[in-house]
Amino acid sequence: MSVTVGIPRALLYYYYYPQWKTFFAHLGVKTLVSRETTRGILEKGIKSTVDEACLPIKVAVGHVMDLCDRVDYIFLPRVVSTARREYICPKFLGFPDIVRNNIEHLPPLMDNSIDLYRKGSSLYNLFYSVGKEFTHNPVRIMRAYQASMAALNNHCRDMESGRLPFETCDSNRHNRQDQDVGVRDVTIAVIGHPYNIYDHYISMNMLKRLRDYGANVVTADQLPEHVFRREAEKLPKQLFWTLNQRMVGAAFYYFDRPEVDGIIHVASFGCGPDSMTGELIERFARRESRKPLLNLTIDEHTGEAGMVTRLEAFMDMVRWRRQLDYVAATYY
Amino acid sequence: MYGYLGIDVGSVSTNMVLTGEDGTIKHSIYLRTQGKPIEMVQQGLKHMQAALPGKLKVIGVGTTGSGRHLAGVITGADIIKNEITTHAIAASNVMPGVQTILEIGGQDSKIIILRNGVVSDFAMNTVCAAGTGSFLDQQAARLNIKIEEFGPLALQATVPVRIAGRCAVFAESDMIHKQQMGYNIPDILAGLCEALVRNYLNNVGKGKEILQPVVFQGGVAANAGMKAAFEKALGHPVHVPSHYDVMGALGAAMLAREATNRKSTGFRGFEVADRDFKAGGFACDGCPNVCEVVEIMESGQVIARWGDRCGRWSNALTQQARIS
Repeated sequence: MSVTVGIPRALLYYYYYPQWKTFFAHLGVKTLVSRETTRGILEKGIKSTVDEACLPIKVAVGHVMDLCDRVDYIFLPRVVSTARREYICPKFLGFPDIVRNNIEHLPPLMDNSIDLYRKGSSLYNLFYSVGKEFTHNPVRIMRAYQASMAALNNHCRDMESGRLPFETCDSNRHNRQDQDVGVRDVTIAVIGHPYNIYDHYISMNMLKRLRDYGANVVTADQLPEHVFRREAEKLPKQLFWTLNQRMVGAAFYYFDRPEVDGIIHVASFGCGPDSMTGELIERFARRESRKPLLNLTIDEHTGEAGMVTRLEAFMDMVRWRRQLDYVAATYY
Repeated sequence: MYGYLGIDVGSVSTNMVLTGEDGTIKHSIYLRTQGKPIEMVQQGLKHMQAALPGKLKVIGVGTTGSGRHLAGVITGADIIKNEITTHAIAASNVMPGVQTILEIGGQDSKIIILRNGVVSDFAMNTVCAAGTGSFLDQQAARLNIKIEEFGPLALQATVPVRIAGRCAVFAESDMIHKQQMGYNIPDILAGLCEALVRNYLNNVGKGKEILQPVVFQGGVAANAGMKAAFEKALGHPVHVPSHYDVMGALGAAMLAREATNRKSTGFRGFEVADRDFKAGGFACDGCPNVCEVVEIMESGQVIARWGDRCGRWSNALTQQARIS
């Protein structure tokens, strides 16, 4: 009898799914990803979560519920820290507890911790404790772990070469960047958490819209770690949120790139770290760069008019300004 | 004689402007949308036709505002543009060299920063409608003052009262409190204007560099009290253009002129005012998204659909009727 482990298509799925999938596959365990976010999933999540949680958490709860009666286990690692002296958002840390306390008839959760805060801690601890559930052979776990690290590296390499996470996670995606037709005359950097910007429902198809408006989209996840860390050092003090370190560093990097015409920062309403990094990025933009910046806040609303208006106006502004720069460059 | 038509369908008002070939305004119309955008567009077209000399020919139409797609489908617009761009274009034509545009409408407020004649930054109000026209409207109604009298009354204030401007609900309870304490209505109104301006500058204008010349437009610019409050807060003059209430429509007309350059217009004529348009909707049951699909019907025939995320319904129509 083979065992199926459910993985919600939410939160850190976009960073780590290829690694998790590979690990379980090497142990002979099947994985099942929850379906793409729909209104149904979001509504279920909203109903079962406390009101003050942010939208991504509510969505993630909805995804867990989507898996509930279809799998034997749900893989929900308790992500405390993924880098030394840094933390992940406390809501991620408490997510297994949020799930356990709000959803009834749960299959067993695998909420083993990832905590790399201290020196000498290793990601292997997580995989060993998970692997133990399925095999008693430590060599097999070690092999699966090594394969999963290779998969993670591949995934990162793929993104650095310009692909987006959902394109590398699922090979049969319908809207691949390279499949869209039409002229793309501007490049827009979209800075936001992967679980916000790559989720078609939550982001209201923002990336696709931008491409339809003729933009090449680049994101924070396409930068290698050392690049965004180096850029984030421009801040007077190191941020201790890993995810937001990436956001800030990537924004700083793209502000300096001549081929990037504009930057969109996407925050979810009620996200503490986002509200701060949004402000940091905006101040930097005003001080150091002449590049247009748009701050977009997303939440539960389904009306697309507000977003469409802002995106359209932003694209107009970017094109208009570039034209002016071009004229200025030919005159002087 | 040729002209360009600009239509701005906002949440509170529907405006129309007809410009000559040189961009000057021949006629403008300001109507309350009253939740019936289709009828108001048709009514506006009728008024417009009646006010124009018979031999004038419309050779370009542009639509803007939150109902721009709807208006665009009905009239056969040559260009459908967001309201930020149209406002910026209109203001920089009316007042060349403008660096800041303050725009307050019925349900939204925005700030547009221009440098060297080009939009360099903009912001719109996010989750809060405090500080927009409908709040002023509502408070005027509560005090039994006509909205037209609001501005002149506020100007009579001698000691403006301080009113909390963060939130419309708090502002209202603060106003009631001050009124029961015995303050004069003009003082309270002036205090309200100052509170709204404070809220606007802190919220929408947060961190923006407001440089002269400043243009104040949108329906609320009619309120002299708001203009005075802005001038007091900013410390320099604020310019209200003569067609402040139809600037979006004016910008749309100007864009229509650009869009129809060496091209013929898609305008379906003033006759559409008499055609039978209906907007209907249904919830698609194709997937758990349950999209609310909107259908625009003309004489029983579907001419446009939108609202579906996957394109199942909007793509089923011909290329021409497709929107967004």
